[in-house]
Amino acid sequence: MIRYMGFILLSGLLAGCSGDAGDDGFAGLAGLERGGGANASAEVDYLQPGPETSLNFPEDFGPHPQHRIEWWYLTANLKTESGEPLGLQWTQFRQALQPRAKAESAPAAADWPLQAAWMAHAAVSWRGSHHFAEKLARGDIGHAGATAVPFQVWLDNWRLSGQPDSNLWRLQVSDDDLSYDLTLRIKGAPIGHGEQGFSAKSAGGEGSMYFSLVDIAITGEVTMNNETLAVSGKGWFDREWSSQLLKTGQKGWDWFALHLDSGDKLMAFRLRDDSGSFRSGTWIPAEGTPAPLTADKLNLKMLETREGVPVRWQLRVPAYQVNLELLAPPGNYTNPGLYPYWESAVDISGSHQGVGYMELTGYSD
Amino acid sequence: MTGIRSLYQRFCRTLLLPWALLSHYRRHPWQLAALAVMILVATMLWTGVSHLTSQARASLDQSEQAVAERQQVVRHDGQALRTDDFVSLRLAGVCVMPWLEVTPEAGNRLIGIDPLAARCFGDGAEAPGSWEQPLDGRPFVDIHAAATTDGIRESQLSLLVSDTTRAEALPPAYQLRRFSAGPDTGELGDSFLLNLEALGILVLLIAALLLRSVYLLGLTQRRNSFALLHRFGVSPDRVQRWLMLETFVLALICVVPGVWLGRWLAAGLGSGFGEALDNLFDIPLYAGQGQSWLTPALVMLAVVKVASLGDWLWLRFRQRLFVPAPVWAGVAAMLLLAGLVLAWLGPSLFWVFAAVALVFAGVGWLTPVAVARLAHWQAFRSEAPLVRWRYRELAVLVRRLTLPLVALQFALAMVLAVQALVTTFEDTFDHWLEQRLAAAYYIDVPAGSDSDEVANWLAGQQTETPGMEWHRVVRGHADFVDAGKADGQQVDVYALAPVSSLVRGWEFLEATARPWEHLAAGEGALINEQLARREEVGAGRTIQLDFGGQSLTLPVVGVYPDYGRPVGEVLLNADSLPDQFTPRSESYAITPGVPGIGPVVEAFHQIWGVQSLPMRDSDTVRELATGVFDQTFALTRAMTLLTLVLAASSLLMMGWVFFSARAWYFRLLEVWGMPKPQVAAQLVRLSLMLTGGIAVLALPLGIWLTWVLVHRINPLAFGWSLPMAVYPVFWLELGLLSLIIGLSIAVLMRRQLGRPGVAPVSANTLAGGER
Repeated sequence: MIRYMGFILLSGLLAGCSGDAGDDGFAGLAGLERGGGANASAEVDYLQPGPETSLNFPEDFGPHPQHRIEWWYLTANLKTESGEPLGLQWTQFRQALQPRAKAESAPAAADWPLQAAWMAHAAVSWRGSHHFAEKLARGDIGHAGATAVPFQVWLDNWRLSGQPDSNLWRLQVSDDDLSYDLTLRIKGAPIGHGEQGFSAKSAGGEGSMYFSLVDIAITGEVTMNNETLAVSGKGWFDREWSSQLLKTGQKGWDWFALHLDSGDKLMAFRLRDDSGSFRSGTWIPAEGTPAPLTADKLNLKMLETREGVPVRWQLRVPAYQVNLELLAPPGNYTNPGLYPYWESAVDISGSHQGVGYMELTGYSD
Repeated sequence: MTGIRSLYQRFCRTLLLPWALLSHYRRHPWQLAALAVMILVATMLWTGVSHLTSQARASLDQSEQAVAERQQVVRHDGQALRTDDFVSLRLAGVCVMPWLEVTPEAGNRLIGIDPLAARCFGDGAEAPGSWEQPLDGRPFVDIHAAATTDGIRESQLSLLVSDTTRAEALPPAYQLRRFSAGPDTGELGDSFLLNLEALGILVLLIAALLLRSVYLLGLTQRRNSFALLHRFGVSPDRVQRWLMLETFVLALICVVPGVWLGRWLAAGLGSGFGEALDNLFDIPLYAGQGQSWLTPALVMLAVVKVASLGDWLWLRFRQRLFVPAPVWAGVAAMLLLAGLVLAWLGPSLFWVFAAVALVFAGVGWLTPVAVARLAHWQAFRSEAPLVRWRYRELAVLVRRLTLPLVALQFALAMVLAVQALVTTFEDTFDHWLEQRLAAAYYIDVPAGSDSDEVANWLAGQQTETPGMEWHRVVRGHADFVDAGKADGQQVDVYALAPVSSLVRGWEFLEATARPWEHLAAGEGALINEQLARREEVGAGRTIQLDFGGQSLTLPVVGVYPDYGRPVGEVLLNADSLPDQFTPRSESYAITPGVPGIGPVVEAFHQIWGVQSLPMRDSDTVRELATGVFDQTFALTRAMTLLTLVLAASSLLMMGWVFFSARAWYFRLLEVWGMPKPQVAAQLVRLSLMLTGGIAVLALPLGIWLTWVLVHRINPLAFGWSLPMAVYPVFWLELGLLSLIIGLSIAVLMRRQLGRPGVAPVSANTLAGGER
């Protein structure tokens, strides 16, 4: 669900439209979007996925230069050696400023092209405090990018990398007062959301390609303010790409990725607009086939807010006897980047116990 | 009913008073228009000047912060940096941003930056400038636009790191170096802006005087109305309150569009001004950094209120404190004297500016009194009736036109000083450029490269190449040892070898005999003016420098002007540098002679084994700077000229009004039998005496102001002075302008006298009853 945040973030950052001064984008780069990149190929249009689009592995772990926006996203509910909960997030976005066919070669780095921009976020929540870091880079230079084989996603010295013929990944992040070095053991196959990976985002059919790795065992070290903690726990990895912007009138979204103690997993989101919301999700049973959840099968209700941000929720999926209460721990988990948004772990109670992650956008106004 | 009637009567009384007061402007609409235009134009000028200077100062600060004393990463092997190096450093976690300077075949230098990469510098003091501005201007553009510019003649990639980056954090192939985007001219720019700000304050003062003069004229004409209102039972205090409201409303109505026009003026002039700053000092004039509209609006409102109501406050004060006129003149003379002494001896900028204020106050006060007395004395001395009449009339005019005359005097003095300052400044900068850019090319020695081999090659070539001149420049630091202080002051070391003819054209402020020969023999050192002033060291004295424990004692053989830098500098023969001296940078200054720079570059490439040479071409820099100076000072002159026009037109208007008021007395000349042409000629002589005299009186004030600006303000602010120069041709031009104003008044009066006669205006009507 971080998809649409990505649209807003990087669209606002780089892909501003004409007219409004607010659309100029960071550093006025919006003006470069049209024809800004070297080797520009005017005939190439953005590709928009639809229900007929299928997932392809391992290619889809890599970048999609003909799509406008994509991201690689990991959330982790970890515990320190003393058993204290620690939430962790890593995300890397790619925003195309100019579409490029997959077969087309990248422009020369010596020309400092600007066909795409990259942004990475890292955050750690522990004992009520929240640490966040952000990095930006232009694509095709070499210090930011992604490859499917071998699997690597990097921006400067932040890197998520897979080892060939292995289910082990490594995530390294290093910043002034925050760093982590984690080993990710990937269990299970990728889960495609929506219709075989095409996840609708509105009743009108807008959507994106979206798959997840929902069962990841994580071990490693997290360092904050020169204090290093050994951690372990479970993670959730999302891949998503599209070329469509948010539907007019959509104000924000609420997204949840939940690990239930029963072994089942649940992904649910809603996109808010003036008239209500568009809801969707995926029920991923411990055993058996994942099932997409349409709006009529999914009920989301805000129970409590903290400084305008809903921190306690009721989530019901009656078809699977799921009636959950989700609660963010005390504290403020706003990621104070170029465009702030809320990203926190949640504790699950009710019909099931468990942990998960919650992302909320559009509440800062 | 009674209550309603009473209410109605109060309402009518309340409305009738302002209506009666404002009826003056119904009868004299042009006076209202003059006041409004004056406030509007003064606000526009003040806002324009202050907006431009504040904008320029913000840009200066930002640019200094952006590029001065920055660090950059260079390769240990001296190879030119490439995109790969940027990538390697970023992948190693070093916060580094690219800075690509390209010089196209046509057009100005461009600097390409990557705002996305710059984000890692953060938003605080570490950020190398505000890169979050739209990159659609020059010289900053997106790095892709710079890299793909058509017809690139020169291109150089630098990699900037934050000040806090330590060498240990770099991969082994790289090292840190100081980064500077251009010559350090920030202080020169500061001085330039300081003087512009002083100009702005003077503009404000002149505007206030003019406003006051027009307003006083109005008040004088309204005295009968006030007396009438008083007879109807309106108290003077109530009239005064309504007058305060009247001026406030008038000021408010005129100040707001004035501020808007001022910002429009600044925007219009800003492009030229910005380009000048950009090219001169490497300072782009950032848009949208100026002060808010509120500050100039409030300042102008205050000026209008003080100018219009100052006399009311002053009269109340004078009523309580009666002081005879000669005492006031004595006070004015004391102020003038104190100002002159303070300007000479003032220990700080504050006192010098205070001295300027005192001198202006004293001159403004004394001038009309002195001129009137002089006129009376001349009248007394002369036996010719017409001469006596003319001088008596001049004395009356000077007393009645005090404020516009003083305003014109100040404006003329200011224009004169600014013109002299600007021209001196221009010459100074030319000299500075000539000194610093005497060679045709400057080539930096890449890190790790052998400088001696190149020196040997150049020495060999010089004997075979006609016109070839060169020297090696080694820069570093040393401690200036002062016997009286425990810690030595760090000074820049600028060492040359050989001491070529490229530097021998430098001018000295003071020197011993044959300074260059002494320097070439290693028997002396040259120091810059800043060091000489700070340490009170002159030619002939001995100085001691400490180089990491090893000291060097040399006599000072000359003091050279070094504009634009606050740092003390010692110029030495590089051969006399001790072993402990660590060069900070090395370069070669070369005038290649007949074969051109090509063979030199080729040889340097071969000797050093590098692909690109950091090379600067002095001809281009000089040409650019000269062109830009013309543009910059055209702007300054335009600003002062506008002020002069304002003052001159005010005097013209006031002169005309006052001469008109005395038309009945001028007609008496005809009554006494003088032919009309002769009456007109008398008027011409009278008005020319008035305005020409003011121009003459403005001359000493202008020259004194020039001296203060170049000899007192600059040294106190920056440690160096500008040479004093005067420009008599310009004095004549200003004198001519004054005479034209006088002539115009006379021409207007001639027309006035041709109309039917009017009853004599009561002397009391015109404040003072003089005739």
